[in-house]
Amino acid sequence: MGTDWGTSMKRAWILFPILIFLFACGQKENLEEVNYRLKWLYNVSTVGDLYAEAQGYFARHGLRVNVKPGGPERDALKELELGHAQFGVASADQVLRAAAKGAPIVVLAQLFQVNPLNWIYRPDQTLFATPEDLKGKRIGVTFGGNDEAILRALLARYGITEDQVSLFSVRYDYTPFYEGEVDFWPLYLNAQAVIIGEKLEKAGEKYAFMSPDALGVRFVANSVVTTREMLEKRPETVKRFLTALLQGWQDALDPKNEDQAVKVLLAADRETPEAVVRRQLPVTRQLMTTSPASEFGKIDTAAWQQTEEIMRTQKLIPGPVAVETLLAPGNTE
Amino acid sequence: MLHRRIYQFFIIYFLGVGLLLALKYGLSLSDYVIPSPGEIWRTGRTYAGPYLLAVLNTLAVAVLGHIVSICLATMVAILGRLTAWVGSFIRTAAFNIQAYPIVAVAPIIFILLGDGLASRLLIAAMICYFPLLLSFIGVFSEPVREIEHFFESTGRMTWRLQVKIRAFENIQKLTTVIVGSATMAMVGTIVAEFIAATAGIGYSIRIALYQSDLAKILVALFLIGIGTSLYLVSLEWIGNALQARLKRT
Repeated sequence: MGTDWGTSMKRAWILFPILIFLFACGQKENLEEVNYRLKWLYNVSTVGDLYAEAQGYFARHGLRVNVKPGGPERDALKELELGHAQFGVASADQVLRAAAKGAPIVVLAQLFQVNPLNWIYRPDQTLFATPEDLKGKRIGVTFGGNDEAILRALLARYGITEDQVSLFSVRYDYTPFYEGEVDFWPLYLNAQAVIIGEKLEKAGEKYAFMSPDALGVRFVANSVVTTREMLEKRPETVKRFLTALLQGWQDALDPKNEDQAVKVLLAADRETPEAVVRRQLPVTRQLMTTSPASEFGKIDTAAWQQTEEIMRTQKLIPGPVAVETLLAPGNTE
Repeated sequence: MLHRRIYQFFIIYFLGVGLLLALKYGLSLSDYVIPSPGEIWRTGRTYAGPYLLAVLNTLAVAVLGHIVSICLATMVAILGRLTAWVGSFIRTAAFNIQAYPIVAVAPIIFILLGDGLASRLLIAAMICYFPLLLSFIGVFSEPVREIEHFFESTGRMTWRLQVKIRAFENIQKLTTVIVGSATMAMVGTIVAEFIAATAGIGYSIRIALYQSDLAKILVALFLIGIGTSLYLVSLEWIGNALQARLKRT
């Protein structure tokens, strides 16, 4: 009897972890798998996406989401259409270009309420009080990039012609700005600005930022997108994805969860020092949560309309795309 | 020769475009993913002029970089033939340096030299230099015993004569290597322009990529193909003329 009992116990001890494992596998298989292609490499602008995945928000909504980094050679919109991804992040100019060419896409949420694109300058060397002061200045711009569209819109808004400024083609290397060759240099306020600002501080230099948004140019940045087919055929999946994602973003940007958010981001982005990430997070929070926390991800229709107008004026899209039809109903303001 | 190269390029190019269009219509993809023939045509008409100038700009840099690398490889290979040790050392160094991908080295070059002509030229030369050097070292280090023996035994051998003999005996091989490395010079220049320059067709392709405009990229590829074919045919013609002249003398 004693031997039988002992043998049964041994068997139970062996079977127990196997059952747990099988249960876990079964659970995993019950999750609906989707791919989510980000716009850029893992960085602070993707912290909410990573947080939602790492903290199990997606799993709690019955989803297994493969959060894939983007990059210069990746285009989430093309991947959506080819079926390689079901959700993605794209900037408004990408969305409008794609829509103008018949891509069947829908914007589900707008991550940045304020476009993080700014121009850094040295206030003690470059006088800048009003946009008029841009005249005669050398301004860095990525030709073909959305900063070019934003800058041209800014110049047009204040009646500054292209021959009144000097445009300088920029790439990854900041040397022309450091050496004072260029007066204004484009960068993302929540990402590079923290790093460049720190370098200038160490060198004892003053710096400031010119924000096109503050000057009335409201050009939408990153948004979450999917295909029209996905929205029509799998509305429940879309709803669960969006609920989990926005909750993930909201919690990742909540100061209470900063340590956890930093940990999640550093696990994916090993190149950025923790101190830098801790300085980037509050800036990201400011740019993404201008509306009440409950409305995180709200789509700003007026800003989208202005973005479309800018792109039409600059002939970046051939004609109107009826931007309102691209924005998912129920999440617009 | 020109006619053959061009139509061969046309076959490859239009097969590629045809495959893309088959995918587009097979999978019902929008013009954003793969442009329609009409859009490619319209883009071609609008951008053929500026892109042609950009290709010529790139080709000029590629040819210059190619010439620089041929001269440099010839000089180093002539030095390398002095002793077996020097030859082996140069070969090892060339292999090691070639192992670094140019995309990793290019940003350093652009930081040091800026995004002007010098950087593009250096990168184009670097990409086609190493294959040239390895072949040239092989050619100039290998004695042509049956001919060199005569001049050595009569005491008339000089280093110039030795180089001439070895070059003449391997002219076919040298021509093939030079023609082969020409495409690498073109590729190197385009890569350099794509990474950081502000001129040339590589720069135009980068802008088109920012705008997710595949039609522009297809137009650029068409013109690059034509430009490269013309350069290769010119090199083959020069090589054949040189061989014919050497045979006559």
